[in-house]
Formats: sequence, structure tokens, C-alpha cells
Amino acid sequence: MQLFKYICRNMLRNKIRSLLTILSVGFSLALMTVLYGFMASQETWKKDAAQENRIVVMNIQGFSGRLPIASVDEVRSIDGVVAAVPYAWFGGTFQEETMPFAQFGTDAEQVFQVWPNFKISPEELTAWQDNRQGCVLDRRIAEKRGWKLGERIRLKGTFYPFDLDLELCGMFDSPKNTDSLWFHWKYLDEGLRQEYPEAAGNSGTIFAKIQDKSEIPAAIKKIDERFASSETPTRSQTEAAFAQMFIDMLGNIQVLIRNIGFAVVFSLSLVAANSMAMSMRERVTEIAVLKAIGFPRLRIMLMILGESCLVAFLGGVMGVGLGCVMLQMMHTAVPQQFPFSIFEMLGPWIAYGFVVAALIGLISGLVPAIRASRLSVIDGLRRVA
Amino acid sequence: MIPAKYNLRNLKVRWVTTLMTVVGTGLVVCASVLTIGLVDGLEQALRVSGHPLDLIVVRKGSTDETSSGLEQSVARDVASLSGIAKSESGQLLCSVEHVTILTKPRRNNGGTTNLIVRGLEDVGRQLRPEFRISQGRDLTPGVNEAITSRQMAERFENLGLGEKLEINHDNFEIVGYFEAGGSSAESEVWTDLRDLTSARRTPGIASSVNLRAQNEAALESLVQELAEDKRFQLSAIRETKYYEDQMESSAFIKYIGYFIAVFLTVAAMFAAANTMYAAVASRGREIGTLRALGFPRSSILISFLFESVVLCLMGGLLGCLATLPFNGLSTGTANFASFSEITFSFQFGPRVLLQGVVLALAMGILGGLLPAIRAVRLNIITALRER
Repeated sequence: MQLFKYICRNMLRNKIRSLLTILSVGFSLALMTVLYGFMASQETWKKDAAQENRIVVMNIQGFSGRLPIASVDEVRSIDGVVAAVPYAWFGGTFQEETMPFAQFGTDAEQVFQVWPNFKISPEELTAWQDNRQGCVLDRRIAEKRGWKLGERIRLKGTFYPFDLDLELCGMFDSPKNTDSLWFHWKYLDEGLRQEYPEAAGNSGTIFAKIQDKSEIPAAIKKIDERFASSETPTRSQTEAAFAQMFIDMLGNIQVLIRNIGFAVVFSLSLVAANSMAMSMRERVTEIAVLKAIGFPRLRIMLMILGESCLVAFLGGVMGVGLGCVMLQMMHTAVPQQFPFSIFEMLGPWIAYGFVVAALIGLISGLVPAIRASRLSVIDGLRRVA
Repeated sequence: MIPAKYNLRNLKVRWVTTLMTVVGTGLVVCASVLTIGLVDGLEQALRVSGHPLDLIVVRKGSTDETSSGLEQSVARDVASLSGIAKSESGQLLCSVEHVTILTKPRRNNGGTTNLIVRGLEDVGRQLRPEFRISQGRDLTPGVNEAITSRQMAERFENLGLGEKLEINHDNFEIVGYFEAGGSSAESEVWTDLRDLTSARRTPGIASSVNLRAQNEAALESLVQELAEDKRFQLSAIRETKYYEDQMESSAFIKYIGYFIAVFLTVAAMFAAANTMYAAVASRGREIGTLRALGFPRSSILISFLFESVVLCLMGGLLGCLATLPFNGLSTGTANFASFSEITFSFQFGPRVLLQGVVLALAMGILGGLLPAIRAVRLNIITALRER
């Protein structure tokens, strides 16, 4: 306890220096926290997806390949499949906004069986099912934009030469912000049939809910075998693998982020070590006095290491805190890039910031600590002006 | 004025502190320049892809070649419009192209991602900047051959010279590597138009028409004509605009880049301030002497700011030098307009390096300001009394 008090006093002796070091460590660690949080959010997406026993069927060639709407019924006939729906990405613009939120053409009869943990009132669901131009969306979108039931939502097609004129029939509650709107796949298809018949009849991707986790591999195999020799061979995968595909697309960015992290940590250690060394130089006499009155070497080393670690730790607390606040702000501002709130993706990665802070503290204090412990008492005392 | 030599000597005497600060700020500048260079490389690849006189004609309502589809016969009619430029050999610079996206694995377990395969005819090569075959030979139409860039061959499985890329059970042999002035064409695999449409089982379908107008006036009338003609149901987008829009969809990579740079700079600023505070604190007597000799406050302020700027600029230059090995290194990420891979090279042109130096300057000035003000406000008598 005595030691800790001494360390605190020492830290507060040059307030500006300690504050600047804390700020410098804090800002860099805030940056690291945000970058790692961004990567963690992708992992969270994957982990979440793994619990839902859903699989995604798409054309083996990727998104550009077609998947005839008849395939949906074939998927439904596979053992273990509880429900399956077409899930066609519309990607329309709303007024002047490109990508306002995600929009999917799907099947109102079964979609809430594929996502059973999304809740909607039965009246709203029936209203949607009965309205050809109806749509439902994540309650968070409606709240953000102040939309009420009956709102007309016009979406201009970008991929499809067809504009949607939708009426809001209901809002669903989901555990996570999905930022999605669902409309009738049939409404889109009927429109396409007139404007551009070649593009009609395409379900895009198919999402299917499987009864039990153990049945997933067999179902995937059966579906792909069923379509293997057709005009449109499929690639079926778990939702987690599907999520991984999007993560992979980012490519080397992750390596870059990691390397930037290392560079930051290294340069920080230098900076922190520098300020620690400056403090030590000013206290040479003092340390000599401590030694002269019988403080053991170890205690002196601990004092100095303790101070550098305390400064780095405070920086770490500030950095991780600031980083988390920023992640939360980004989650509210751009939910498409940051789909999870900070509480949903808490994990070991948060601790990285503290581990790094601890390392910075140790490394930066090490040289000054060793030098102080080796200091000759005579030389130190002689420095008194 | 206090001679600059005074500051330089000071930096030399306290060389350990100087070195640590220089290396620290250098690393920060290096990381920032790398990030900005990455963003710049991506934008560069998209920018050079757009020729001011080129048009990309897609189906009305489409904003991207990959999501557009039109009859080849309609596409051929576009060539009959007037105002299209001719090549030296008299060929119309109007190319009917089919673009498709395949999901293919990267090399070294880099996961799968989307790959753009473009089917086109000979004339399309003249519409790309500086197209040339760098290794192997160009493809022969009709026998399922393909060419790609060296970067793509290194990034994707089955794209190496002599390897075979599978498209709907048909194998396309890679027979050559091409270069196209660093444009986004270098992120694609090229094959013959007919070979690709037959492999995709969509004969007679094209994605887009790429053409070059004779001049600006001809270009505007072509855009007008295509927009108004009901027979076509097409829209022509200026190539420069097309790639600008693609840049926009990747804008969030840019924001991340600048976000990183700004944060790192702020952190390094505090570090520089720390060093300068220490410098001022240990030189109280010197400052007092300078004041007593009659140097005005402004000279002292400038002198300390200068020292801080020199310190950070050394770091900045070191940081810029450290990025040299990365220059031209190619990498790739997703082009969010088409959700497909785009490769590009880190570019450390004067613009990027200048940004690095500006960051270093900001660190030096902002970090040095408060310590310099403190130096100026020292009371002469007490300062001289210090040890």
C-alpha cells in the first residue's frame, strides 16, 4: 500500500507529462479498439449465424447466377427443412439515398418460420400477407425515420428495371438490428415479367431453416446433389459460412489493420519509455538517497515499473473506453457497417487493449528501472547541484 | 532571431530523447502514409480506368455493368449511331461486352471472393489504357482461352499461366498476362465474348457496350440519343462518372483510412508535446539568459516551435522513407459497387507523401505550441535562478 501511494505521488509530480503520456497512449488504443471492434463485429455476425440452423442456397457461380423460383419448393421437400424462402436482394434507392437499408423480396407465408425469433403481431402479419404491395421492416428503421403503418415507401430499382411502391403493413422486432425491409417476391417478379422477362423467375438466394443442427450437413449435401446436374447447380452453406464469404471479400485489409496495430504499439512504447526516462533523469539524486537509506534494489525497480504501468494502464482505460464509445456511436450512425452494439460483441478482444497497455507499461519502464537499480549511490548523490 | 544552430545542437545533445521521438513519430507517419497510400491506390486504379471520351452503355436503370443485361443485337445497333470514334485502322471503337461474376477461391487459403470475368472482342482492347500483353500471348477466340493480369494470377487459384478456370463446367485456359495501365481492367479475367456467353448458357446476351466518342460534342449527342430512343431502353454513362460512383461506394474504406491517420496524428502530437515540455523544463536557465540578452519573446516562441517542427519533420521524413519498400506492392479488396475483387498497387506519389509531411508538421506545430508558450512566459529572474 505504501508503495502504491509513493507511485501515485510520483506520477502526479509532473502532471503535464503524465497527462500527455496517458492521452497519447489513450488515443492510440482508442483507435486500436475501434479497428479490432470492427473485426470483432464480423466475428459476432458469424457466431450469431451459427446458432440459427439456417442454410443459404445460391448459384454455384455466385450472386450473379440465377436460382429458379421452383428451386424453393424443391428445397422445402428436402428432409429436415422446416421452411425455405426466396431472398432476393433488391438494392433500391430511397429518394436520394443509395442503400438506405437492406431490402429483400421474400415469401410472406414462411419467412417468419425461417427467422422464428423475429416477432411480429399476427394482425400485422396477416395484413402484409393480404397486401400485394405490402412490406414489413425492422422496427428500428421505422423509429429512426418516424414511419407509421400505412406509410408509402417508394424504392427505385438499381439492379432491376422496376421500382417498388410499397405500403408499410407491419414492423418486426428482432434481437439484433437487421436494418432490413421485406416485401413480396411475387410483386417484384410480376413487375419484371412485364419490363424485362429475362430477369423474372429468379429467387436470388434461398434461406432455409433446418430442424436440427445435426441434420445440416446432410441437408446441404442433398440440396447440392439435387441441383448438381441441372441448369443451375447450387452451392449451399451454413449461414456462418455465408457470413465468412463477405468477411473474406475484404481481403488484406485485416492484415493491414493488424500491422498498423503493431506499429502503433511499438511507437507508443518508445514514446512512453521516453517520458519515463525523462522522469528518471530528474530523480537520480532522489533514488540515490532512497538507496542510501536502505531501499532494496527490487523495491526501487518495482516503484519505477509500477509508475510506468500505472500511466499506461490509465491510458488503456481511457483508450478502451473512448474506443467503445466511438463504436457505439458508429453503430447508431451507420448500422450497416457496424451492425452490433458494443454490448452485443463484448468479448476477449476488448481485453487486447488492456494487454497492450500493460505491455507498453512494462516495456517503457524496464530500461529506466534497470538503470535506476544499477545506479551507484555515490554518483547519484554527487549530482546535487 | 535565435540562430537555428542553437536548436539543432540541442537536439543533438539530447540525442536519445530526439531519436526516440523521431522514431516514434516516424512510425506513426509511416502507418498513416501506408493507409492513405492504400486509399489512394484504390482510387487511382478506378480513376485511370475512366477515359473522358468513353461511354459505358448499360440497360436503363442499371448502375453497374455486372447487373446489366441486354440483347447483343440491340448492342450491335448502338454501333450504327453517329459520332463514335474510329481507330487508326478504321475500326469503330465500340465494344460489346459480357460481364459475369464468379465466386472463386483466393490462393493461400485467402477465402473465396467474387471475380469479374469479361467476354469481349478484339476492339475492346483499344478502349483500355495502354493495353499490352506482358507475358504469354493473347487469347484465340472460339477455343475457350482467357487472359488476366499478373496480380490476379497471384491472388486467385487457377489463374496462373497454363492453369484452367472453370466456368459452368467449361474450362478456360489462361494463355497470357496483360497490363492495362493500372486500371480496373487489371482486376478482371478476359475471354472471348462468344466463348463466355455460351459457357454461361446465355447466348445473345451482353452486359454493356463500351465506346469512345469522336469529341465532347459527339459524346453529348450520343448520351442524349441513347436516353431518348425508346427502341434501345439503354442509358449511357460517362466512364469517368461510372468509376467516380464506384469510388463512392468504397468511400467507407476511405473514411477508415483518414480516421486512422487523424487518430494516430493526435496521439503523436501528445508525444511531441511531451518531449518539448521536457526540453523547455530543462532549459529554464538558458531561456532566462536569452531573454536577459535581449531576445524578444517572439524569437523564443519561434525558436521552440522551430525545434519541435524539426523534430517531427525528421520523423515524418523517416516515416515516408520507410514506406518506400511498399511502393508498387499490389494488394486487393472488395469493390463495393460490384462486390468483387479489385486489385491495386500502393501508390506513394508526391501527393500522398506531402500528406505525410503535413501530418508531421501538424504534430510539430500543435505539439510544440504549448511548451513554447510556457517558455515565453517564464519569469527572467526565477528562470535564471534555476539550477
